[in-house]
Amino acid sequence: MPPGELVSALQSDVAKDALVVTFETNLIALALILVLGTPTAYWAATRQSRFRDLVVTLIELPLVLPPAVAGIGLLAAFGRLGLLGGTLDTLGIDVAFNKVAVVLAVTFVASPFYVRTAVSAFEALDPTLPAAARTLGAGPGGVFFRVALPLAAGGLGAGAALAFARGLGEFGATIMFAGSLQGVTQTLSLAIYEQFDLDFDVALAISAVLVATSAATLLSVKLVTRWRSTSSSPIPSVASSPLSS
Amino acid sequence: MRGRLLAIAGLVAVVASAWLTSGATARPSATPPLTIYAAASLTEVFKALDGAQHFSFAGSNALETQIRNGAPVDVFASAAPLNTQRLFKAGIVDKPVTFTANRLALIVPKSNPAGIRSIYDLRSKPVKLVVAAPAVPAGGYTLSVLRKMGLSSVLSKVVSRESDVKAVTGKVALGQADAGFVYVTDARPVSDQVSVIRIPAWAQPRVRYEIAVVTKSPNKTAAQAWVRMILSAKGQTALKHAGFLPLPKASS
Repeated sequence: MPPGELVSALQSDVAKDALVVTFETNLIALALILVLGTPTAYWAATRQSRFRDLVVTLIELPLVLPPAVAGIGLLAAFGRLGLLGGTLDTLGIDVAFNKVAVVLAVTFVASPFYVRTAVSAFEALDPTLPAAARTLGAGPGGVFFRVALPLAAGGLGAGAALAFARGLGEFGATIMFAGSLQGVTQTLSLAIYEQFDLDFDVALAISAVLVATSAATLLSVKLVTRWRSTSSSPIPSVASSPLSS
Repeated sequence: MRGRLLAIAGLVAVVASAWLTSGATARPSATPPLTIYAAASLTEVFKALDGAQHFSFAGSNALETQIRNGAPVDVFASAAPLNTQRLFKAGIVDKPVTFTANRLALIVPKSNPAGIRSIYDLRSKPVKLVVAAPAVPAGGYTLSVLRKMGLSSVLSKVVSRESDVKAVTGKVALGQADAGFVYVTDARPVSDQVSVIRIPAWAQPRVRYEIAVVTKSPNKTAAQAWVRMILSAKGQTALKHAGFLPLPKASS
């Protein structure tokens, strides 16, 4: 397929809508993952709680769960007839067949990629540095924001990129939990699936976009880690997580 | 240590050889199972009719694409003549025959959260409607029903276009969606979870199922025999019990 045709296939409404839906939902999911995942990872890396292993296992579970199980789990938890469905309904939160459902699915499957990497980034910090900051008068919040966070930034960035790459390709949980509607819940992966037996060229073009985006994301992880290792002392190791989809 | 390792290796060898030979001896000289691609709506009836074959159930359009791309299939049963006829014209399947018919219905969850009592309620009430994608036979039939009833405007209430009719059934049975268009035969296996709202006869599309033997099938005799079984009294009775309509007399 010549590049010209590839570009023109990407001009189709299906491809454009899917691009918008995918990036919109994935950026929101990534923000959620960062906001919720960073304190959790810091807690897991610095506290010796007996719940630590349990919490970390729960967080890592989506890494090894088949996407179909993730879909069933989300339906059982957040579905209209699920465990929290009634509660969400009384709160006026509707998570059936809309972008909220896609964000939930992406957050669920992608978060472990960030949290795992973030835990090892925080664990790799030299423990004397936060202690020194404390003796110099910094509170726990100050230590977190002004010492731990900047020092672990490289590892956190790498984790965020991995989570984003995983979220972009989310398919199974999304199609089961959020359904597929162009411009609303149809992400790039769902559009490929739908176009596969309608217009193969469009499916191919969207696939090429995903390959390029994922490659760029992974490459940026490597560049960020290399840049960190030459510029600052503690090198958080990027957890070699299986990039399953 | 060494002894234990040897014991484990021996055990692995025994299990592996048992597994390998079981594959070879399980069906001594019996005919290998046929690979049958069938419309999702045929799932229950085909499995009940003949559990010995390998089935793949999905939207007829997806199956058509897979067969066109060289999937090793013996028999293709489609929920719309369009899919079988396209493959026939391309020389990929032998001449298709009509073997059954069906009707469309609207299903709602038993709890009926949107309070749908008739098709026309779809127009007036806020409702999360789920349909099959337009290229899926059930999706095409849905569009035709809505057009005939002057209800095409309710398409704005569609929240998901599913890849086959069973996915529509599942979303409604789970209560995720308020209503969905499926075949009457899809409602039966989930009759404890959904209520059926009939579509008037004048608005019903002509839902005709076709079956064809794949031209390059290596098991052609067995495949033809299987198609004859579906057309025989045995096959037709099973289809009738599942709620399918008898073979239309005039066509085919």
